[in-house]
Amino acid sequence: MKANKLLGAVLMGAAFSASVAALEPQTGKALYEANCAVCHQFDGGGVPFMQPELFGSKRANAPKGAVIDIILFGSAAEGAGQSGFTNEMPGFDFLTNKEIALIATYVRTNFENNGGAVVADDVQPRRK
Amino acid sequence: MNSKIFGVSVLTLVLVGCSAPEEAQEAAHQEATEEATVAPAPLVGVADDAAVDAVTGISLPSGFKATVFADDIGSARHLTAASNGWVYAALFRPKDGMGAVALYDPDGDGVADERQYFAAGMQGTGMGVYDGHLYYSTDTEVMRWPLPEGGAPVGDAVVIAQGFNEETQHASKNIAFDGAGNLYVNVGAPSNASMTEMRTKGSPGMRPCPILEQYGGTWRFDASKPGQDQMKDGYHYATGIRNGMSMAWNTHADSLYVAMHGRDQLASFFPDMFTNEQSAELPSEEFHKVSDGSDLGWPYSYFDHSKGTRMVMPEYGGDGNMVSDEGQMPLVGFPGHWAPNGMMFLKGDAMPAQYRKGAYIAFHGSWNRAPQPQQGYRVVYVPLDDAGNVSGDWVTFANGFAGPDPVMSPRDAVHRPLGLAEGPDGAIYIGSLASGGRVWKVTYEGE
Repeated sequence: MKANKLLGAVLMGAAFSASVAALEPQTGKALYEANCAVCHQFDGGGVPFMQPELFGSKRANAPKGAVIDIILFGSAAEGAGQSGFTNEMPGFDFLTNKEIALIATYVRTNFENNGGAVVADDVQPRRK
Repeated sequence: MNSKIFGVSVLTLVLVGCSAPEEAQEAAHQEATEEATVAPAPLVGVADDAAVDAVTGISLPSGFKATVFADDIGSARHLTAASNGWVYAALFRPKDGMGAVALYDPDGDGVADERQYFAAGMQGTGMGVYDGHLYYSTDTEVMRWPLPEGGAPVGDAVVIAQGFNEETQHASKNIAFDGAGNLYVNVGAPSNASMTEMRTKGSPGMRPCPILEQYGGTWRFDASKPGQDQMKDGYHYATGIRNGMSMAWNTHADSLYVAMHGRDQLASFFPDMFTNEQSAELPSEEFHKVSDGSDLGWPYSYFDHSKGTRMVMPEYGGDGNMVSDEGQMPLVGFPGHWAPNGMMFLKGDAMPAQYRKGAYIAFHGSWNRAPQPQQGYRVVYVPLDDAGNVSGDWVTFANGFAGPDPVMSPRDAVHRPLGLAEGPDGAIYIGSLASGGRVWKVTYEGE
């Protein structure tokens, strides 16, 4: 009886999590739109002279660490003012390894990029 | 109304004070009567849905005509049209290693056939003519050459103001001149809302804001004295200005005017207080009359044109509804993120009376309205009276630069208006840094 109740509670909890997940899917696209699109734009087009476009991005098509680092540390990853764009980018190290991996994968496989997928285990070693 | 009465009184005084022949007196009297009875043409501007001209790609109010004065000149920032007939444009990025260009239209068909590049190894924004000199600014210096008889200036420029820190954000040092030998330099704040941590959600604002000591304001210099340092020699004229790239001296009211860029990202940092729709419209882009000691409020407050009041910046405890008493009230609050990047007051009388004494403001267009469509890519006209007070609703003077609506992403904007200048013949020049860079020449041809 008690075990059944507990199981029910666990199941309900699981169902609740699932419904929240359905509302806010933790996809790379959703995470990108929530965290990145305000500056890099929903279409990845950036803003001329201010924020880099992500189309055919050298960084997105480079080895995985390049995109992971810029998400973790922002424009400080390459030295502020070195990019030719006027706005600085803050770091997003408060995101989880999985979230960063999903965003990195989204950027590396969209906007005419073909850098390939990134997984959470790629992110952890690059944290400082 | 008052100015009309004044105009008639002046005419009457002139009539009484001189002994003109009877016919001339009669004609002058008739003119005075006409001036008193004919209402000035209403200021209507150009409608948002007006068709653009097929050749120039822009729309203008009835009676105005444009030509593409110069195309593919490079990323044109501010412009000046000198008494020697040449138009000078600063370039935001060097073109073939040069940071400015001089343009000339020898046959007067509205198209510049000659161009000469100068300012080797530099890039900049500020451009102006004052006291027989051509002024140009990079992000760290304001310099000048003697204005040549024509073409590009020769020799090394003399640096007038320097010592501005090298920054990337809001780093342009645009300039203006009064009638008393002074140079005004905008020193933008390298910050969004003076957060402790740069553009980071949840990071509080710094009070007192240390940025305001050296940035976020207007500094005044002697326009002719070489080698002045911002902090040692410059006079801190006005403060609380996040970025005042749209700045000009109004000779009619003898005062400086600034249109300030409002802060970005209200919804992304404060989603509990602002919807995406509110964050697209707010805060206002603020148009101010700026005097010695003016404080425009940044970073402690912003203007909300839907409420008509200054509000406490959320980084400083605001919640979208808390009213602030910090910062002066603007003359006009424009919709959010339109990016005022150029301003001009006319000195001549080539344009119709209703377009002469107000402020022309070039809005470069937004990037921070997504997911709403981007907006603003236009030149507006704010009518002002002789004292420099707003005398009516602002209108759009030139539009269509960005191409067909909606513009969802700034890179889709074909052109983005920025530099403004008045030629010696009274024509208006409008520059764009996008799509290779372009300058339009606008004249009034009548109905």
